[in-house]
Amino acid sequence: MPIIETKDLTYTYQGATKPSIREVSIKIEKGEFVILTGPSGCGKTTLCRCFNGLIPHFYTGTLNGTINVANLDVTKHQIHELARHVGFVFQNPENQLFALSVEKDVAFALENLGTPRAEMQERIEWALKAVGAYELRERAPHELSGGQQQRVAIASVLAMQPNVMILDEPTSFLDPLTAKKIFEVIAELNEQLGITVILVEHRLDLTAQYADHVIIMDEGKVVLDGNPRDIFNSEEARLIGVGIPKATRLFQILKEDGINIKSVPISSAEAAKALRRILKHD
Amino acid sequence: MSMFSGFQFRKISTPIHNLDPRIKFIFVIVIFAVAIMFNEFLVLVVLFFAHIPIVLVAKVQREWIRSMRGAAFLATIIFVTNLVFSYIYGGYQLAPWILENAIALTLRFVVLVESFSIFFLTTSPDHLGLALEQSHIPYEFCFAFTTAVRFVPVLAEEAQTIMDAQKARGLELEKGNFLKRIRNYIPILIPLIVSAIRRSLELAEAMESKAWGAIKKRTNLYELKVRKGDYILITLTIVMLIIAVYVRLYLSIPSLTSLISH
Repeated sequence: MPIIETKDLTYTYQGATKPSIREVSIKIEKGEFVILTGPSGCGKTTLCRCFNGLIPHFYTGTLNGTINVANLDVTKHQIHELARHVGFVFQNPENQLFALSVEKDVAFALENLGTPRAEMQERIEWALKAVGAYELRERAPHELSGGQQQRVAIASVLAMQPNVMILDEPTSFLDPLTAKKIFEVIAELNEQLGITVILVEHRLDLTAQYADHVIIMDEGKVVLDGNPRDIFNSEEARLIGVGIPKATRLFQILKEDGINIKSVPISSAEAAKALRRILKHD
Repeated sequence: MSMFSGFQFRKISTPIHNLDPRIKFIFVIVIFAVAIMFNEFLVLVVLFFAHIPIVLVAKVQREWIRSMRGAAFLATIIFVTNLVFSYIYGGYQLAPWILENAIALTLRFVVLVESFSIFFLTTSPDHLGLALEQSHIPYEFCFAFTTAVRFVPVLAEEAQTIMDAQKARGLELEKGNFLKRIRNYIPILIPLIVSAIRRSLELAEAMESKAWGAIKKRTNLYELKVRKGDYILITLTIVMLIIAVYVRLYLSIPSLTSLISH
C-alpha cells in the first residue's frame, strides 16, 4: 500500500488560466527517498502543497482527481490532521521559525497538538539531537546562520514524528557545503528512522546518491518516474534541462567515446571508483 | 543593526531575570505611581538610587547606562524648560529652590525611564508573551506579539537591504527639504510592505503545516511559576506603596534647600 497515491490529479490556482499540475498519477512507497525535480515553474511546489493539504484547504482553486496520503483522502481532512502524518519544510528557513528561541520553535507544532509538557521536552531534545542542533536550543532564530536555521526548521517538523517529510528546496538559500550537510541530515532521517522523504531539489550532484525514486516534472506533468539510474541516464532527462549529476554525464560522454562503464554512476564517488577500475585495466 | 542594540534583551540568568514578569510589571507600575505622587527632590533621588542594586544584580549595567544616555537629551530639555518657567513665574529671581525643583522634575522623568528600561532589559520577550498568555489573553494576540518581536531584526535588515538597493539605483535620501525627505522614503516603504505581506503568506503556510489551530486548548512548553523571589518582590512593592501613600498624606518632606540653610 503506497503512502502517497495520486490519480489524475489536476489543479488550477484561483485566477490562473491554465492548470499548474495536470493529470499527475504517482505512487510513493513507505520509506522511500524521493527526489522531485524539473525546471522552475513546472509544478513541483504545487504538487507538494497537495501532499499536506495546503491545496485545497489553504489555497483556493479547482482540484480534480484523487489524492490519498497515509490512507487519508486529502480533500476530506484538514491540514492539521494531515500535519500529524506529513511534515513540510519550506525553502526560506527564516519564514518558518516564529518563536524567540529554538526550543520554543520546535515546540510550536507540539503545543498546537496539545502534547503534554513532559513528552514535549523529550521530543524536542530528540528532534534537535537528530539534526545536530541541540546546543542551539536557547538561541534566538535571528542569531543563527542559514544552515542552522534550516536544521531547526527540520527539527521543528521532525518533532511531530511524521511518516512523510516534504522538503521544498530546503537548501536554495544555503552555500554548497552547508547544503551537503543538510542533505546528510535528511538522508539519515530516511535511513535510520524510516521517514519517507520527498525532496524537491535542483542540486542533483549532491542528492542523487540518496534517492530510491526520482520523479521529473515539466510543464505541470510528470514526464519521468522511476529508478534514479535509468532516469538520469535517459536522453529525455537531459533534454528537459534537468541538471543531471555530472558523474552520469561523464559516463555518457565516455560511452560516446567508446569507454564503457558497466553501471551508471550517479555520484562522484561512484564515478571515481569506476574510472579507477578502468585505468587499472589499461 | 546598531540602532537596535540598545533595546535588545540579552539572555542571561540572574535573580532579576528569573522573576515573574507579571510581578515585575506591577513593581514598575508602583514605581511609576510613587514617582508621580512626589515632586520632592529627596524622594526622587532615593527612588533613582534604589534602582542601582537591581541593575547590578541583573548585570545589565552597560545597557542601563546606554538607556540613561538615551534619556539624557529629553532630560536636559525637561530641566531647562522647568528652570526657565520657574524663573519666569518666580518673579525673575534665581533662588536655590528653583534649581532643586527643576532637578527633581528631571529626576522624575529619569526614574520613569529607568524602571521601564530595567523591566525590558531583564524580561525576555518570550516571558512577556507567556505572561500575556497566562493572563488569559487569547493566544492569537500573544502569538502576534511574540512574532512581531521576532521579526523586528529581520525587517530592519530587509529595510537596510532595500535602502542600499535603492541608493545604488540613484535614490538620494538626504536631499531636499523636510517634506521632500519624507517623500524620499516612499521607494523604500513600498517594497518593504510588499515583501512583508509576501513573508506573512509564507508564515501562514508554515503555521498551517504545523497544525495551527488543531485543538482549542493548546499546551505550552514553559510555565510561569510564582517563586520565593516573586513573593519577596510583591511584598516589597506593597510595603513601598503603603509607605509612600502614608508619607504623602501625613508627613511633609523637607526640601534640600531648607535642610542646608538650617
